[in-house]
Amino acid sequence: MGTPCHFALFELQPSFTLDLEQLAARYRELARGVHPDRFADASEREQRLALEQSASLNEAYQTLKSPPKRARYLLAMGGRELPLEVTVHDPDFLMQQMQWREELEELQDEADLPGIATFKRRLKVAQDQLNDSFAACWNDAAQREQAERLMRRMQFLDKLTYEVRQLEERLDD
Amino acid sequence: MALLQIAEPGQSPQPHQRRLAVGIDLGTTNSLVAALRSGLSEPLPDADGQVILPSAVRYHADHVEVGQSAKLAAAGDPFNTVLSVKRLMGRGLADVKQLGEQLPYRFVGGESHMPFIDTVQGPKSPVEVSAEILKVLRLRAEASLGGELVGAVITVPAYFDEPQRQATKDAARLAGLNVLRLLNEPTAAAVAYGLDQNAEGVVAIYDLGGGTFDISILRLTRGVFEVLATGGDSALGGDDFDHAIAGWIIEQAGLSADLDPGTQRHLLQIACAAKEALTDTASVEVVYGDWRAALTREAFDALIEPMVARSLKACRRAVRDSNVELDEVQAVVMVGGSTRVPRVREAVAEMFGRQPLTEIDPDQVVAIGAAIQADTLAGNKRDGGELLLLDVIPLSLGLETMGGLMEKVIPRNTTIPVARAQDFTTYKDGQSAMMIHVLQGERELISDCRSLARFELRGIPAMVAGAAKIRVTFQVDADGLLDVSARELGSGVEASIQVKPSYGLTDGEIAKMLKDSFQYAGDDKVARVLREQQVDAQRLVEAVQAALEADGERLLDADERMVIDLQVQELTELMKGTDGYAIEQQTKRLSQVTDAFAARRLDSTVKAALAGRNLNEIGE
Repeated sequence: MGTPCHFALFELQPSFTLDLEQLAARYRELARGVHPDRFADASEREQRLALEQSASLNEAYQTLKSPPKRARYLLAMGGRELPLEVTVHDPDFLMQQMQWREELEELQDEADLPGIATFKRRLKVAQDQLNDSFAACWNDAAQREQAERLMRRMQFLDKLTYEVRQLEERLDD
Repeated sequence: MALLQIAEPGQSPQPHQRRLAVGIDLGTTNSLVAALRSGLSEPLPDADGQVILPSAVRYHADHVEVGQSAKLAAAGDPFNTVLSVKRLMGRGLADVKQLGEQLPYRFVGGESHMPFIDTVQGPKSPVEVSAEILKVLRLRAEASLGGELVGAVITVPAYFDEPQRQATKDAARLAGLNVLRLLNEPTAAAVAYGLDQNAEGVVAIYDLGGGTFDISILRLTRGVFEVLATGGDSALGGDDFDHAIAGWIIEQAGLSADLDPGTQRHLLQIACAAKEALTDTASVEVVYGDWRAALTREAFDALIEPMVARSLKACRRAVRDSNVELDEVQAVVMVGGSTRVPRVREAVAEMFGRQPLTEIDPDQVVAIGAAIQADTLAGNKRDGGELLLLDVIPLSLGLETMGGLMEKVIPRNTTIPVARAQDFTTYKDGQSAMMIHVLQGERELISDCRSLARFELRGIPAMVAGAAKIRVTFQVDADGLLDVSARELGSGVEASIQVKPSYGLTDGEIAKMLKDSFQYAGDDKVARVLREQQVDAQRLVEAVQAALEADGERLLDADERMVIDLQVQELTELMKGTDGYAIEQQTKRLSQVTDAFAARRLDSTVKAALAGRNLNEIGE
């Protein structure tokens, strides 16, 4: 975990609900101050520092602007352990995952481009729903397990989105 | 090392004086240098008023010719004239062969895995050839701006990988330029366009040059140029159009495909002229010797269709990667001479659903943008607020993991600078070392990715498999260049490498080339270097003579003795002259032929020292 915390860097309170436009604007403002281009003729030490600060600013921005990464970051705040590769017991979602994957395979076999577009829209709806549910429970200690479950679902859908993009690329060949 | 000081920025200027900095577009076909003059960025002309310098270098026995005259000589002197050298930058010999075209050069291997071109001046690396072009532009800039340059921004295709970037930076160093930044060509074009038009929002830059293709999607927000995604093909450009037409001529005229280099060059010149003519006419007559035929624009369009399609595919991918919808793209800017081809414009317009913009000269826009950035980086204040360019890495960076797979550590299109760490562990009990293999590319198998560097983390304390925690950190700077370090967290054992790819130049090669370049530089630094070389040579000769006197009789046979004596004599002769390179080479040679002698002497000294002692003492 970076010090200071990603939210503090952007002068924000830890929260899952973020105004992304505002985050982007704040990012550009902060980047202006620390980007190595500003230090082209500064001392080597300052250049080094600018490089490090820009890199951590970029890292913070990447984390905060992606809902699954942001969710994971929130849950890991306060030094809690959150191993990457753990399957939280979630049989319902396991079933759903298999379904998504089967559908994606069919779309691939049939090179069904309109089908892929529809699939992407459904994926987006599912992601929005997950985000809402997570926003409602992450800060409640009693619902910690549920929040973790939702976060892992978000991660899965994120991965699935990436796979859809790869599929589109393959079909473009 | 004193030698490297030539790349240092000039003396500090007077407080009110503008610091001189330029933008250089080092192109495949043409190169330009631009600078800010009275608030306006413009390309700098040569003495004849020409701004475009053809990227052609011809080696003569005693001098180097760069530009238009060299380009015209290509067919007549193919082996000594290098065109489109950019296509060879950062490439290995094997890659060059894969470019799938007959290159009319004689290649020889070098100390690194670079392809060296054999010329009348000896083998020349692509880096050296590029440096010749940069040198001409540096001198032009210094002459027209009237002073020494603080530095330069050199543009590279956004899709250039790490070795290609490193090679470009090496070439600039070799040309005596202080590199303020390597800037991606489409980003430079976006700066020129964005400031010129006061544009905001999402913009696509379609950049088809002589040898490379780039597509970048940027978001422009009040002076901030944020690259959302970039893509392309570092081996696709107008040269390929020429090759396609040349292939058509060969086929139509019934020529043998196995042509001598001069004929190849001649055909390519005819092809290029036909291509250019087809921009304004529907059909052109192509003449080769007695053979003549009409090439219609339609036929030409069909010839280049596969290449146009490849560029569009890269566009679609970049749009997907940028997470914007196609209709959010508010402007498409055309960059590079090859975007004059009507079919290219038409295809781009179809894909983006809007007419591409061609207002700014596609040959000049990159250099103009680079000059604006150079001026900012040199510390000059800009009217109308500061610029900020947020660029990305074009290709994913990662590591080899078990089973020959590539594990991505930083995915493509991540904003730079970036630092990212990944933890690994040992897979054998007591494993004391780990090989770190750094890769670049999008494919799963490491054999499909570009190998950037390998290094070993040693001295991992003995532990059971899986207990060690090895953190590998990647750091990419604002030029897109990579540093990798590895550290075992328990013990703190560390290893790191600045990625100097196997297709770049070794530090030794650069140092040697820098020295070589002094032979032509004609200032007092040359004298200083020569003096150093003479001193080194003198030292070696004295040491060898002393050693010969002491142990020559005892440790050398007559033949060995003769070889050494000859080399000593040779070096002693050279030392009186002023050929620094020859002195250096001969110093090296003498040192080589005396290696075995030196080893024997050391050996006998050790034996003599040990003679009076017993084994127990030695063990201590």
